[in-house]
Amino acid sequence: MTRYLRLFVAFARFGLASEMAFRANFLVKLLVEVLWLGILLIFYWKLFDNTSSIGGWSRSEYFFFVGCHYTLGGIVETFFLTNCVEFAELVRSGDLDTYLLKPIDEQFLISCRWIDWSTLPNVVQGIAIMTIALAVMGWTFDPLRFVLFVLVFACGCALAYSFLLILSSMAVWLVRNQNLMEMWWLFTTLMRYPRAIYEGPWAKPFGLFFTFVVPVLIVVNVPADTLIKAFEPWFIVWTVIAAVGMLAVSRRFFRRALQSYRSASS
Amino acid sequence: MSLQDVTQVLMKSEESPLWLRVWATVRKYTNIFRVSLIERTAYRGDFLLGTILRFFPVITTILLWKAVFSGTQQHRIAGFSEQRMIAYLLLIHVSRMFSSMPGLSGTIARDIRDGTLKKYLVQPLDMIGYLLSYRAAHKVAYITTSAGPYAGLFFLCSGYFVDLWPDVLTLSAYAVSLLLAFVIGFFFETAMGMVGFWFLEVTSLLWVVNTVNYFVSGQMFPLDLLGPPWDTILKWLPFQYLAYFPAVVFLREVTGRALVEGLLMELAWSAALIVLSRWLFARGLRRYSAYGG
Repeated sequence: MTRYLRLFVAFARFGLASEMAFRANFLVKLLVEVLWLGILLIFYWKLFDNTSSIGGWSRSEYFFFVGCHYTLGGIVETFFLTNCVEFAELVRSGDLDTYLLKPIDEQFLISCRWIDWSTLPNVVQGIAIMTIALAVMGWTFDPLRFVLFVLVFACGCALAYSFLLILSSMAVWLVRNQNLMEMWWLFTTLMRYPRAIYEGPWAKPFGLFFTFVVPVLIVVNVPADTLIKAFEPWFIVWTVIAAVGMLAVSRRFFRRALQSYRSASS
Repeated sequence: MSLQDVTQVLMKSEESPLWLRVWATVRKYTNIFRVSLIERTAYRGDFLLGTILRFFPVITTILLWKAVFSGTQQHRIAGFSEQRMIAYLLLIHVSRMFSSMPGLSGTIARDIRDGTLKKYLVQPLDMIGYLLSYRAAHKVAYITTSAGPYAGLFFLCSGYFVDLWPDVLTLSAYAVSLLLAFVIGFFFETAMGMVGFWFLEVTSLLWVVNTVNYFVSGQMFPLDLLGPPWDTILKWLPFQYLAYFPAVVFLREVTGRALVEGLLMELAWSAALIVLSRWLFARGLRRYSAYGG
C-alpha cells in the first residue's frame, strides 16, 4: 500500500514538473477553463432571468448543482481522463506491453500514471461556486448531511471513474476508438442536469434506465440532493451500492479487456 | 482471390474465351467491393457507439429547455416559443455541418512550423485553393453520410417543426446562408492558421478561440437571450453566421429587409475574411524560411 502511495506521489511530482516546463501553455489551459466556466455561468444566469425554476431547482440551488458537477468533473479530469485517453492510444500503438511488464497492478499504473494539474483549479472553482450558492440560499450547517454529502460525492467520483474505465477499455475491442475525450464529454452530458428534467412519456423511462441500470444520473444528483434538497436515504444507499458494484464491474471489464489485448507490431 | 488466381487470370486473359474474361473481371471487382465493404465496417462497433452517444446532448438540451419553459409563466423566452427554441437548437446542428472545420487552423500552423508548407510552394498549386477544394469534398462526403442519422433525428423531432416548414424563398435564402457559412468557417480558420507565421505555438490560442466561438456563434442558445447591448454587438461579428444566422433564417425570425441585409453582411464578412487570409498568407510567406522537412 505504501508503495502505491509513494508511486502516486512520484507521478504527481513528475506531472507538475512537466507542466511547469511549458508554463505559458499551462496558463492558457487555465484561461480556457475559466472562460468555459464563465460561459456556463452566463448561460444559466440568463436562463434564470427568464424562469423561476428548472426541474424544481431555484437559481441558487441550481448553481450549487453546477458547482458540484464542476468539482466532480475537475477531479475526474485531473486524475483519470488523460490517462484513459492515453490508454486507447497505447492499445492502438502496442506500447501497452511496456506497462503490462511492470511489477505492479496494471489498473493502478494505467489509470493513475499522469496527473493533469491544469484541471485541478476546476475543483477549486467548483467548490467556490458551491460555497457561494450555499451562502446565498442561507444554508445552515448540518453535520449529518455534510458527512453523507462527502460520502456520496466520493461514490459519485468512483462511479464516474468506473464508467470512464469501461469506456476506455472498449478500445481493446473497437481498436480505433473515436476520440475518447469527445465520447466521454458526450456521455457525461447525462450527469450535467438535474434528474427532474427527465419528465415526459419517453424521457421518464430514459431517466429511470440511466438511474438504475446504468447509474450515471445519480453521480451528481444524489450528492447535490443530499446536501440541499429532499433527503432521500434510499438513494444514498443505492449510490453506495452502485459505486461499489460499478468499481467491481469496471475492474473485471478492464481485466477482461487486457486478456483480449493482442500486442501490435513493435 | 489468391495470388495464384491472379497470375492464372492474367495468363489466360490473352487466349481464353470471352466469357471467362468477363467472369474474371466480375470476380475482380466483386472482390474489391467486398474488401472495401469489410474495411468500411471494420470499425462498426466504434461508429455505432459514437452515433448513439451523439444523441445524448440533443436529448438533454431538449429536456433542459422543456424544464425551463415549464418553470415560467412566459410563453416566449428571448422571442422564442418552446417549440421554436427546440427547433433552433436542432437547426444549429445543420449550420455546424456546413461551417465547422475541425483541425484546419491546426494543420496550417503545423505545416508552417514543421516546414512542410513548402510542399505547396514548390508545386504549381495555390495552398488556400487546394485546402478549399479538399475541405469542400470532405463536407460533401460528410453531409451525405450523416444525412441519414440527421433525417432520423429530424423525423423524431418533427413535432417541433409543425407550421415551421418555410416557403421556397426562405429555403433559398437558407441555402445561401449555409453556403456562406461554409466560406466564413473556412476562411476564418485559415486566417487563424496563418497566425502560425508569427507565433510558433498556436494550439493554445486556438483552444481559446474555439471556446469563445462556441458561445458567440450561438451554439449554446440564441444570441437574443443575452439581451442588449450584447446581442447587437455579437450580431455585428462574423461568428453568428457560423451557427445562429442560418438557423434564424430557417425559422423566419429574420425576414424582408433584415434578411437581405443579413445576407449582404454575411457576403461582406466572407469577402473580408478571404482578403484577410490571402493578405496574411502573402505577408507570412515573406517571413517564412522553410525550416526542417
